[in-house]
Amino acid sequence: MKILVPVKQVEILDEDFDVQDDGRSIDPDCIEFELNEWDDYSWETALQLMEKHEGTVEAVPMTVGDESADDGLRKCLAKGGERAIRVWDDSVAGSDPIAIARLIAAAAKKEDAQLVLAGTQSTDQAHGQTGIAVAALLGWPHVAVVSALDYSAADGKLTVRRELEGGVEEEIEVALPAVLTIQLGINEPRYASLRGIKQAKTKTVDLLSPADLGVSTDQLGETGSAARVRRMYIPERSKAELITGTPPEQVKRLIEIVNELKGA
Amino acid sequence: MDSKYATLFEPIKIGPKTLKNRFYQVPHCIGAGSDKPGFQAAHRSMKAEGGWGGINTEYCSIHPESDDTNRVSARIWDEGDVRNLKAMTDEVHKYGALVGVELWYGGPHAPCLESRQTPRGPSQYASDFETQSYCKEMDLDDIKMVQQFYVDAALRARDAGFDIVYVYGAHAYLPLQFLSPFYNKRTDGYGGSLENRARFWLETLEKVRGAVGSDCAIATRFAVDSLSGQEGIQVEDDGMRFVELADPLVDVWDVNVGVIAEWGEDAGPSRFHRMGHQLPWQRFIKLVSKKPVLGVGRFTDPEKMVEVIRAGQLDIIGAARPSIADPFLPNKIKEGRVDDIRTCIGCNVCISRWEIGGPPMVCTQNATAGEEYRRGWHPEKFEPKKSDDTILVVGAGPSGSECARVLMERGYTVHLVDQADKIGGYVNNVASLPGLGEWGYHRDYRETQLNKLVKKNRDSQIALGAKPLDVDGILGYGADKVVIATGAHWNRDGNSALTHAPIPGINADLPYMVTPEQIFAGSKPIGKRVLILNADPYYMAPSLAHKLAEAGHEVKVATGVDLGRYMHFTLEYPNIRRLFNELNIEIISDVWASRAEEGRIELYDVWGDGHKIQFNGVGQSPRTENRTHKWHEFDTLVLVTGRSSNVSLFRGIKERQSEWASNDIKGVYLIGDALAPKLIADATFDGHRIAREIEEANPQYPQPYRREVAVWGVAHMPGATSEIRYRL
Ligand SMILES: Cc1cc2nc3c(=O)[nH]c(=O)nc-3n(C[C@H](O)[C@H](O)[C@H](O)COP(=O)(O)O)c2cc1C
Ligand code: SF4
Repeated sequence: MKILVPVKQVEILDEDFDVQDDGRSIDPDCIEFELNEWDDYSWETALQLMEKHEGTVEAVPMTVGDESADDGLRKCLAKGGERAIRVWDDSVAGSDPIAIARLIAAAAKKEDAQLVLAGTQSTDQAHGQTGIAVAALLGWPHVAVVSALDYSAADGKLTVRRELEGGVEEEIEVALPAVLTIQLGINEPRYASLRGIKQAKTKTVDLLSPADLGVSTDQLGETGSAARVRRMYIPERSKAELITGTPPEQVKRLIEIVNELKGA
Repeated sequence: MDSKYATLFEPIKIGPKTLKNRFYQVPHCIGAGSDKPGFQAAHRSMKAEGGWGGINTEYCSIHPESDDTNRVSARIWDEGDVRNLKAMTDEVHKYGALVGVELWYGGPHAPCLESRQTPRGPSQYASDFETQSYCKEMDLDDIKMVQQFYVDAALRARDAGFDIVYVYGAHAYLPLQFLSPFYNKRTDGYGGSLENRARFWLETLEKVRGAVGSDCAIATRFAVDSLSGQEGIQVEDDGMRFVELADPLVDVWDVNVGVIAEWGEDAGPSRFHRMGHQLPWQRFIKLVSKKPVLGVGRFTDPEKMVEVIRAGQLDIIGAARPSIADPFLPNKIKEGRVDDIRTCIGCNVCISRWEIGGPPMVCTQNATAGEEYRRGWHPEKFEPKKSDDTILVVGAGPSGSECARVLMERGYTVHLVDQADKIGGYVNNVASLPGLGEWGYHRDYRETQLNKLVKKNRDSQIALGAKPLDVDGILGYGADKVVIATGAHWNRDGNSALTHAPIPGINADLPYMVTPEQIFAGSKPIGKRVLILNADPYYMAPSLAHKLAEAGHEVKVATGVDLGRYMHFTLEYPNIRRLFNELNIEIISDVWASRAEEGRIELYDVWGDGHKIQFNGVGQSPRTENRTHKWHEFDTLVLVTGRSSNVSLFRGIKERQSEWASNDIKGVYLIGDALAPKLIADATFDGHRIAREIEEANPQYPQPYRREVAVWGVAHMPGATSEIRYRL
């Protein structure tokens, strides 16, 4: 069985950041990239399946992104796996989650994967759509927000658990092929060793273009996306006040504020 | 710079000089004095580079009659001292800071162990600090003579390039001995009324001012309250009145509280004192003085500094310890890097070295303090890495985290691994003890820095909450070099410095016996009656006694060593003893344990065997048998007997040394408590040191440092020679 694990480099904002002049994105100078937190867990899930079913399960991380996204793939490869896939050309820029899902679904087909393990959501955009869209495009069953998982190689079935509100858990059996989105805390992601990091540098990252995957450019980028960011802005913050003076003065001011808030 | 801190960077005039900002390193010892000019010059100029506007020597003896040996003061006795101190003033001036000298005459507090002279004082008394040292009561000739010592020293100080000349009257040194009725019992013009008691100090200031006042700012350090009620100086009485009298003679006031015999009320340990703890007394001085006033109080937070100046309590922020822990504190504030400040934790380990007498100062937070000259360590700048070796550091306690930090600063790829979810190791436990919360700044600094540094190198990693690494894990890790910093643990079997063997019946697996770690983990219930068995000379037993007594247990400490002996050196002892009294903690001194059972322990007087030694043959003790054994009851026995390194991992790797090469491992090293249990300051130093020397042939062992010794054949006293010459 082959598992495809789509991962993403997410944007981490500096403490002070600016919105770009176009009003639709953040100044790239204020951004650092890191592997999405959820993807640490989905990749660990894949690695554990691979270890448990040694020789029969293969896990491949993939990403949609420019060259800088290789970092995230190598971070995965430092912990295990032999190769990774990166999909990119300029036509991909500006794609919404659905357009990205087209590329992932196409890659899953090309790789003949039976299982796609995506993160539940990304820390920067938090759409929570990509994994589910992949399932829809492939016509595969999907389970979202998975908190435990067991795979039986004999009958090719997955038993997964989801945590619901109020401490209720749900257990679901799914037949492969399938798409799961993985929740934080499903496992304890391992750390890479220095040896792993060194080896990851020599592992292959296959670069594929949308054309290689048979996805046409009108399905991608802004033209291929239904959603478009119209405006990005920092909401007005309620103001803070430093209360100074002697303790009685401070108490007085505090009472005033409480009364103001109560509308008294 | 954040404009809210602008106040701190406003220049201020002091007499003929201008201080460029409000950051002022008050006089403090480092162990350099005048005899280690390289150490002196490098340590002080480091702070000048870091932005301090004013820098001082430590107390500086004006004459051999004020000789504090073995404690190290500076001295300005002769041309040789002038030459050596000039090295410091020259270096400091390069950074535009003013440099001051604290002219000091100790009276009987200085026991003159080297000079063998007899100190003089206003009356005759034994020092309350050096209780075996008495002074001679001065007659009027003596007074003139000693005042002339000040003048001569001030002239030499001017020649040495000092901008600020102090007459040091804090910590109950000579001028204050005249002022305080605790010492001064005279009935002539120098005793009795305040005016009379102030006379010596005022005349001295006048003479020093006359000699150097046009070239140098005149400062005086004044402990405005002795904290002993009517016995000494009280700020609202003699304190303020003296300031009024002396105000025209000084250019800047440096005010604090307390006396040398209990100077922990000035250099307040964080266990008992918060930032600004002296303000309730210091704030009175600006009410009566027209001159700039500076004061100390472990000021580390720029917000507090601004507040103190805005509120008109002080004009200048004086600091000793904050400047030791972070020589670059002013620049970091100026550059908006407040989160990079290495905040003093208030442990007073810096002070302990002076108190011990002799050794150079060290700092728990700043491993480079005192190493500026001899090891060439700059606290903020690092030598770039000299190889592409990758380094695995196992253990993120004080030693491991410092090692990883410095290696990362140097550009190495580092993996720092710890089972715990948090950086800090042992410090996380220690900082949970009563009053030691600020010790957590040691961890916080490293945590902040490591989290910043790890972002600069994609291959570096901080692996917290990691699966414990075993020997195979380390061999296969892929690191070129491995540093083991796995810490130490408290002994579980009663082994201690006193017997070097387990005590029968003691075993921390038993439900009614606990080690400090088990208390931290909260893994065992603690009974009503607690007996702490102690053979550790520092804070663990006193801290646990405090913690458990406060929690309602009846606490006794049975101790085989001086309880809290090292806390004398950190100035924590007097108040911890007061606290023991308040909490009804009982101390059973000079005892050790022969055996223990559930609910009781047998203790004996450590001096209970015979005082005569006699050869009695093999297998026979040379002393008569100790028959002082008595049973003592407890519900829980706390074992603070001794510590042992956690070395199993290191030993395991060492056993497989033959496999290192095939795994591309160049070396495995041991640091910190894992090497041998030690002070947090020394563990931190270990980690720092090996990181600076990691590319040496065997970094396990330190490189030699530059020593400053008087070298044969070089003499500095007029007419002196290096030949051996006897007076025959
Ligand atoms: C290591 C050390 C040595 C000191 N030596 C002196 C000294 O030589 N003369 C002096 O007047 N005060 C000395 N002090 C006291 C300091 O000047 C200061 O009053 C005290 O430490 C409180 O300031 P802080 O809270 O900023 O540390 C020393 C303090 C330290 C920490
Ligand atoms: S040794 Fe402790 S008290 Fe002294 S400066 Fe360093 S951190 Fe502060």
